[in-house]
Parts: sequence; C-alpha cells; structure tokens
Amino acid sequence: MAKMIKHQLKKLLERQLSNISYKLKVTVSYVPIIENRLNERKNRKLENYQFEMNKQLYEAELATFGNHQYVEEMTKEKVDLLKEKTYWRKRAVLTSFKREYKSVDNQNAHQKELDDLLTKVDHIEKEQLTKLNGKYASRNMPEGQIEINLKLFRELYIDLQLKYNADEIQLTHELETKLEYIKKKAENKKQRLNASYERKSLKLKSLLDEIKDSSIAEGVVMSDDSILKLDNLTMLFGGLRAVDKLSFEVKEGEIFGLIGPNGAGKTTVFNCITQFYKSNSGQIIYRNKVNDVVNLGQYKVHDVIKQGIVRTFQNVELIWELSILDNLLIASHTLYKTGFFEHLVHTMKFRREEEILKARAINILTNLGLLVYKDFYPIGLPYGTLKLVELARTLMTNPRLIILDEPAAGLNDQETKKLAETIRKIQKEYNSTIFLVEHDMGLVMELCDTICAISFGKMLAIGTAQEIQANPIVQEAYLGGE
Amino acid sequence: MLQEKYNVKKQNKILQNFKKFSKHPLFGIFIGAFLMVMLQVLGKTGLVQPSVVDSLANIWIFMIVGLGFTLLLGYAGLASLGTAGFIGIGSYVIAFFLGKLGLPFFLVFLFGILIALVVGTIVGFISLRIEGMYLAIITLGLSEILVEFFKFATKITNGLEGFQLERFEILGHLMLEHEIYYIIVFILILTMIGVVNLVSSPTGRAMLSIKNSTSAAQAMGISILKYRLMTFVLSTVLAVVGGMLYMMYMRSTEPGIWNIGLSLNILVAIVIGGAKSIWGVGLGTFFIFAFDDIVLKNIPFFIKYGNATYIINGVLIILVVMFYPGGIVKLFNDIIRYIKTTAKNIKTSWKEHKYGKDD
Repeated sequence: MAKMIKHQLKKLLERQLSNISYKLKVTVSYVPIIENRLNERKNRKLENYQFEMNKQLYEAELATFGNHQYVEEMTKEKVDLLKEKTYWRKRAVLTSFKREYKSVDNQNAHQKELDDLLTKVDHIEKEQLTKLNGKYASRNMPEGQIEINLKLFRELYIDLQLKYNADEIQLTHELETKLEYIKKKAENKKQRLNASYERKSLKLKSLLDEIKDSSIAEGVVMSDDSILKLDNLTMLFGGLRAVDKLSFEVKEGEIFGLIGPNGAGKTTVFNCITQFYKSNSGQIIYRNKVNDVVNLGQYKVHDVIKQGIVRTFQNVELIWELSILDNLLIASHTLYKTGFFEHLVHTMKFRREEEILKARAINILTNLGLLVYKDFYPIGLPYGTLKLVELARTLMTNPRLIILDEPAAGLNDQETKKLAETIRKIQKEYNSTIFLVEHDMGLVMELCDTICAISFGKMLAIGTAQEIQANPIVQEAYLGGE
Repeated sequence: MLQEKYNVKKQNKILQNFKKFSKHPLFGIFIGAFLMVMLQVLGKTGLVQPSVVDSLANIWIFMIVGLGFTLLLGYAGLASLGTAGFIGIGSYVIAFFLGKLGLPFFLVFLFGILIALVVGTIVGFISLRIEGMYLAIITLGLSEILVEFFKFATKITNGLEGFQLERFEILGHLMLEHEIYYIIVFILILTMIGVVNLVSSPTGRAMLSIKNSTSAAQAMGISILKYRLMTFVLSTVLAVVGGMLYMMYMRSTEPGIWNIGLSLNILVAIVIGGAKSIWGVGLGTFFIFAFDDIVLKNIPFFIKYGNATYIINGVLIILVVMFYPGGIVKLFNDIIRYIKTTAKNIKTSWKEHKYGKDD
C-alpha cells in the first residue's frame, strides 16, 4: 500500500516537474515575441507621426510659392491626367476613322475631316486647361510676402523636426521601460520556477532512492558517453530471424551509420528502436532527455518521441493535405499542453503556444534554407526538398537522437551533397546524435564517425570507415565469396 | 512634385482593414448567420414561403450533423453509415424525456449529450481495429440494431407509431416555432465556429495526419486511439444534437425515418459538397435535403412527376463525383475565377475596339 502511494506521489511529482519546465520555456520564449510586437507598434506610430509632419510641411511649403509656381503645383497632376485623356481621345478618333475609310486612298481623300476632328479634341483640351488654371489663379501675393513665408517655413521645419525627434525619443523610452518591466517580470518568474523546480526535483530524487523504479533499466550497464545500446536484440517474423542477437552502442554526439545488403534487417532495427515492432527478446537501453537510463521496450509508439527520439521514413511520410509549416507543427504535437476544449475555443493560452511554436518552426526553416516553401503544400515539390522538410520536422522537439531511414534514397548527386551538409549542420547546431541507415556508400563513408555492418540480422563488423572498408567479412557480404 | 517629395497621398485605411477582416473565417460565418436569420424574418413577412423556411431549418439541422461527419470522413478518414441511428437517438431522447416525462429542457439536453458520449465511445472503440469499408458495414449494423430497438421497445419508443411532440416550455416560456429556429441557427453557428477552430488547431492537424499516414502520426507522438475516439465521440454528439433539434422543430419521430437511406444521404451530401469545408457541407445538405423542396417544386414538370427529383439528385451525384471530386465548393471557386477572367477579357477587347491595338 505504501509503495503504491509512493508510486502515485512519484507520478504526481514528475507531472509537476514537466509542467514547471513547460512554463519556464513559455516565459523564456515569449519575451522576444512580445519585443517584436512592441517594436512593430512603435514603428507604426512613428510612421503616423511622420505622415502628420509631412502634411504640415507640405502645406507650409505650398504657402511659400509664388503665383505661377502655386498654380503649376496644384494643377500638375490634373494636367497630366488631361493630357493622357486627350491622347486616348485622339487614338479613338483615329481608329474609328480608319475603320470607316479602310483603304489608304480613301483616307487621304478624307484627310480634312480627320484634321477637323483632331482640332476639335485639341480645342476641348485647351478649354479645360484654361478652366483649371483659372481655378487657382486668384491667389495673388504682395511683394515681400514670399520671403516672410520662407522664414516662417524654416522655423516650422526646425520646430517639427525637433518635435519629431522628441517624440521618437519618448517612444523609445516608453518601449524600453515596458520591455524592462516585462523582462524583469519574466526573470522573476523564471527564478521562482527554477527554485520550485529544484525543490521538487530534490524531493523526487529522495523518493526515487526509496523506491526502486521499474522504468530504470536494471542489470545492463551502459557507459557514460553512449546514448543508445542494443543488447542481444532479436526479432522474429514467424520463422524468419530478421534481427539476430544484435548488440552495439551508439556514442553521444556522433553520426552512426548502419549498413548492410538488402534484407539485412536494418529497417527492422529502426522499427524495433522506435517501438513500431516489439522485439522478441533483448533490450534497447536509452539515455533520455533528463539523463535517465530507460528501457525503450516499455513505451508505446507515440510515447517514444517524448523521450527524445525522432525518426524519418524511407519513403517520404509527410502529411500531404497540410502546408509545410503545419507539417513542422505536427512534429511539435507533444509540446502542446493545451487540450481539446482549449483548441475548440482558441483560448489565449493556446494562441500563445501556437505563436511560440510557429516562431520556432520558422526559425528551423530559415536555418535549413526552406523558408520559401513555408506555405506550399508538399504535392509537387521536388523530392530532395521533401526529404529536407522531413529532416526539419525532426528538429521541432529538440531531440537527443535522430534516426534517419535512408535519407539519400532517390536523390541526385547535388541533392545528396546538400543533404550531407545539412546533416552535419544539424549534428553541430542542435547537439543531436544521428543514427542512419543508408545504401549510398559514398555518403556513409564520408559522413559517419562509426559504421556498423550487418547481414541477415547478424553483426559483421563495427568500426570507422577505413576499418569497415578493409574488413574481409564485409567485403564478402557485399561482393560475394569466391 | 511637392506631393511626391512629402509623400502625402491619402490611403484608405478602413477599406484595407475591411479587406483584412473579410479573409478571416469568422467573417463568412457571421454573414451566414445574418442570412439565416434574415430568411426566417422574410418568411414572416410573406416574401419567402413558410414551407421554404421549414426546409431551411431542415438544412441547418442536417448541416450540424454533417459538420460532425466531415470531421469523421474529411479529417479522420473514417467512413460511418450509422449516423441515422444516432440522430434517431437524439429525437427519441427529446420525445421520451421532454414530451412524455416532462423533464426540464436543459436537463434533457444534457442527458442527450451524455448518451451520445457513451454511444460514441463504444463505437469509437470498435473503430480502432477496423478501417474503411468494414467500418462502414459495422456502423450500418449498429444503426440497424438501433432502428430495431426503436421499433420493438414499445414502452420507451412507442413502437412503430412513434411520437408526436406537443409544444414545450423552456424556463417557463412556451416555445414558438421561430424561436426554435433561432435556437437551431445559434447551435449551428456555435458548431461552425468550433469546427473551424478545431481544424486549425493541433487536434485537427492530428486527425489529418492520422488520415494521411498512421506511421508518421505515431512517430510524431500522436496517439491514434485517442484521436479516433475523439472524432467518433464528437461526430456522435453532433448527430444526437441534430436529432434533438430535429424533434424540437419537426415535432414527430418514427423508426421509419432513421433508416440507412438517411445515413447514405448524409454521406452523399458531404461527398458532393466537399468533405473539407464547412461551406461545402452547407451546399451538400442543401442539394440533398432541400433542393427539390425549394427549387424543383416550383417547376411545373416536377410538380407533375414528383419522383423525377430523385433522378435529378442521382445525376447530380454522378456529375459531381466524376468532374469535381473535391466537391461543389470547388465548382463555385472555378465559377468565380471564370467570371473574373471573362470580365477582364471583355474589358481588353472593348479597349481594342475603341482605341486600336497597341503597336
């Protein structure tokens, strides 16, 4: 009974811890979004000020103009419009004339008629021009007024400029104080959360010492720098041994390659790790996000991603009815804390979450050079791009281990080169271990730190690229014996 | 000259804001709500026939059911033929608890939703193991069981005679027909907003991803059990709510209505309207449930040969499935595009006629 209570307590504590870390993430990542929004608002306000200032300046400068200049300024646009109109009128006259008298001789005979019509159009233009000029001509300025006006204008200009600068300074000051307040608040919240996190994790630790937890693997030792260990993994399909007592370790931070001829059981190994298949015997030991060593066999398929393992598929498995951005957001499904009812009403909390995750997705897309395809649907995009999108999708949850199932299958040389670069980039920038299956030997030899060769589910050799190339057993498996 | 220097040309900000707002999905829904209410008001003044208002209410009720069904078919990719049975449950809940026992309305409504939750969960659990056509067959069987229950559990359901509902009270107020119409419109608007919100949220995305690729969905941490169950429960709840509203407005129910024909009609309505759009659902239900009442009955030929309306429906279905697999909504989009392009062409040709061709 006491044991059960302790187990429940442990579960409760774990949930609280994950909630706290989630809140921490939200407080940290929401500050830049607010900053952006405030900056936008400030810029919009500044634009409005500029517009008002320009309006005043425009009127003031108009006042300084002499009669002739004033008329020109006020009528310029309208005169342009008139000229365009007359051009079109003349063209209409010409086309109708040509339609009536089709042959050239006929046209020449009626040249006078055309001229009459054209002069009529010109006359109309002249009439309207005089009308326009007459409208603004009534303004007469006494002598010396222009100089006075100019002086006034200069004063106004300086005044307005000063006012604008003062406004700008005030706005930036307001922005800064607001930002400071927000940052301070966020910092306070962060400290508070951190303190409670530490308190609770200590509690959890003492609890864990009291009860021996089943989730932590027993009996199997894993060295400190490795992240994944297969121990005598066996997978049977009826009588077929797809994987036969396979065991190896993947070191943290490396690129690990799994190679083998067709039907060697590489993809089966992947499916066993990600729990699509439940292995018949043997263990898969993994160091998860919080540095606990766990046995992956006890998790369901959709819980594996929470431990920090993400995989891609041999054929591109994107969601064809969603845009690329939404495809990335699918991968962050487990990061949402809001539930069904909050999604139904689009609460503030949910919208904030969505904003943060969208910002992260866009960040990843820009980092991999895919931002152009943000709103595209996957249908019709080139295969290489789709593969890259699938890679980008794995990064949404900040995984510790990324599993790539034949990333270069179906790509041309150029795309393969780009892919290799991207994989390197991911390994460096996102601090992830990468575990891949690949048929393209050039890519594997170039990319991988450690390579494991298997055939018919059994391990042939493990080592660096040179070691694998020089190994006679591997050569025999690939090229055949004598 | 000076204007360019200071850049002081006016911009119409109100128009820009309106354009921005008109692209928001809620804008269309509010316009739709306004139209729904207006049509009823016009029916009161006599400009629209009362029978048309009745069939409009019929459309709105089946649109609520259809919205639930789109979640099932268009988003989660599950085909069900048990919808009619679930609607029947709703109608009998109102008939029995409100009509016969006289319980307060809100209690009955809540009770109906509770029953829907239970039934939806049971059917959802069945759906976890079965997919595609077999699921449709199983749900069809369930629906038939329900119909048999309506027929032979005479103490509850009154057998083959069915129920006639008297006028009833909500909070001490005797409900008139147009007030029930407003309730229907209100619930329809709520479900539309809910569905639109849900579809653009992680839940909607999870449903779509399960439909597209179960393995990718699982690898991304989406529990298939949870979301299939959720969609089944949601669609059942909406069907039962639709049934309750049907009983409130039409005031009669009998086992014969809730047969497989109705389930098929709803399926067809969603398919020809467009399975992934709320407006498509509206169009589809209009064509299936009210096209003959509103449009065809005004044509003399169809008054003489009433059964010809079925032929028209059948031809429509064949045409839509052959030429517009995405639904009639896409046809409307195409028509709008066509009008725009032809207007442009007419303008240019008129210009050429008047001013001559450019060199």
